[in-house]
Amino acid sequence: MILATYDLWAFVSENREELLDGLLNTLKVSAFAIAGAFVIGLALGAARAHRIPVVSQLTAIYVEVIRNTPILVQIFFIFYALPQLGIVFDQFTVAWLSVMIWGGAFNSENFRAGFQAVAYRYREAGYALGFAPFSTFVNVTLPIGGRIALPSSINTYISVLKNTSLMYVIGYAELTTTSLNISNLTLQTTESLTMLAIVYLTLVWSLSALIRLLESRLALPESR
Amino acid sequence: MTASEAATVRTANGEDGDGTNGAGPVVRVEGLRKSFGTNLVLDGVDVTVAAGEVLVIIGRSGSGKSTLLRCINLLEPIDEGRILLEGDEITRKGVDVSRVRQRIGMVFQQFNLFPHLTAIDNVTLAARKIRKLSREQAEQRARELLKTVGLEEKADQHPHQLSGGQQQRVAIARALMMEPHVMLFDEVTSALDPELVGEVLIVMRDLARIGMTMLVVTHEMQFAREVGDRLVFMDEGRIVEEGAPADVLDNPSDERTRRFLRRTLQLPESLEELTVNEEGVEE
Repeated sequence: MILATYDLWAFVSENREELLDGLLNTLKVSAFAIAGAFVIGLALGAARAHRIPVVSQLTAIYVEVIRNTPILVQIFFIFYALPQLGIVFDQFTVAWLSVMIWGGAFNSENFRAGFQAVAYRYREAGYALGFAPFSTFVNVTLPIGGRIALPSSINTYISVLKNTSLMYVIGYAELTTTSLNISNLTLQTTESLTMLAIVYLTLVWSLSALIRLLESRLALPESR
Repeated sequence: MTASEAATVRTANGEDGDGTNGAGPVVRVEGLRKSFGTNLVLDGVDVTVAAGEVLVIIGRSGSGKSTLLRCINLLEPIDEGRILLEGDEITRKGVDVSRVRQRIGMVFQQFNLFPHLTAIDNVTLAARKIRKLSREQAEQRARELLKTVGLEEKADQHPHQLSGGQQQRVAIARALMMEPHVMLFDEVTSALDPELVGEVLIVMRDLARIGMTMLVVTHEMQFAREVGDRLVFMDEGRIVEEGAPADVLDNPSDERTRRFLRRTLQLPESLEELTVNEEGVEE
């Protein structure tokens, strides 16, 4: 009965515009959040690797809180609890902000590990050439450690993209919410979920292909 | 190294316009003391290196020779004493450490070439970023330097594609690129396979011949004898003997120097006759 009425194409074509809007919102939220997670990860990872006072302790607390609480709770906290304190964001902002904060925490660990893996002797060579500490970071630690951190940070970006589907719980119309809302009305649940699986697979594969291309061009020569 | 190649290695000795050089020593270390925790590594070291002089520093591992070089390059903070570079006290408070280091070239035991950069990029990086040379200017000069160390063909190779000896020669070119007034060599052949030691020592010999001021920590006694102008022997953080290399090596006056040289230079007839204790080879 269900199989007899299964029509994936009809589901997609009849709801084309809404689904496309949902997809665009997913991409927008992901792009904001990944860019933010990159910046947060880089800055806080560097602060922790270099044990910069205060910043590095605060980062440690941030990472512990985010890593040890469910992301769903974090989203709810930003969406429902912060307004009680007078901090109100619209759904779009909650969407990218929550996954960015989540991704930034994990990414700061990726970069911390990458920077710490840079042997001190390379930094020392930088100092000996006359680079000041910050220039040594920019010209030595960052290019070497950033490359070491790349594979693990790719995984974080992929998780950020997938986690945007959790915005279903706050009703933000990204792809998952849009698709499930349609099928709740039309009962095309199987079509809806199949479509979601196919689109997310395609998105994640494209994203990882893109970053792996970047990675192969950036990788440290000896590991190419 | 031909005369024209020698000219490509520019040192500021005698040609810098700031007038600080004059006839005084390039490096002067006075009463230097340094400890790591409770371990006293340098126990009052005084040493002076004149322009164009090659000072060779020998001694057992742990005698403080490497720490002395690292203190001169301000890579280790000192506890007591002072260090002067061309008359400026570089260990005083408020000194611009990075600028001081630009006048000092350093070559390390482990080469420490940047693994993500080609040989020529390793050489040009600091000149481009610190001296703000254009890539074109920097590469032209870097190619000249790579030629003087015999590696013009390897400019576009990455460090992992080079032998240890080649990496170390690139590291020397990298240090020379900043036109240092003095070069510090910290056991630069100790990590090399024996057959690669010579190529690095030859580059250093040529550098000495064109008048570079050098402090060389080494275990290569032949180099010390032939290239060194003066030799100091360090033991337990002090300079215990100092003089012309041949004099110290052939007629050491201090018992500690004699013991060190005996162990370093005179191979026994057969290893079978030797035993070890916690001090090393039993005598």
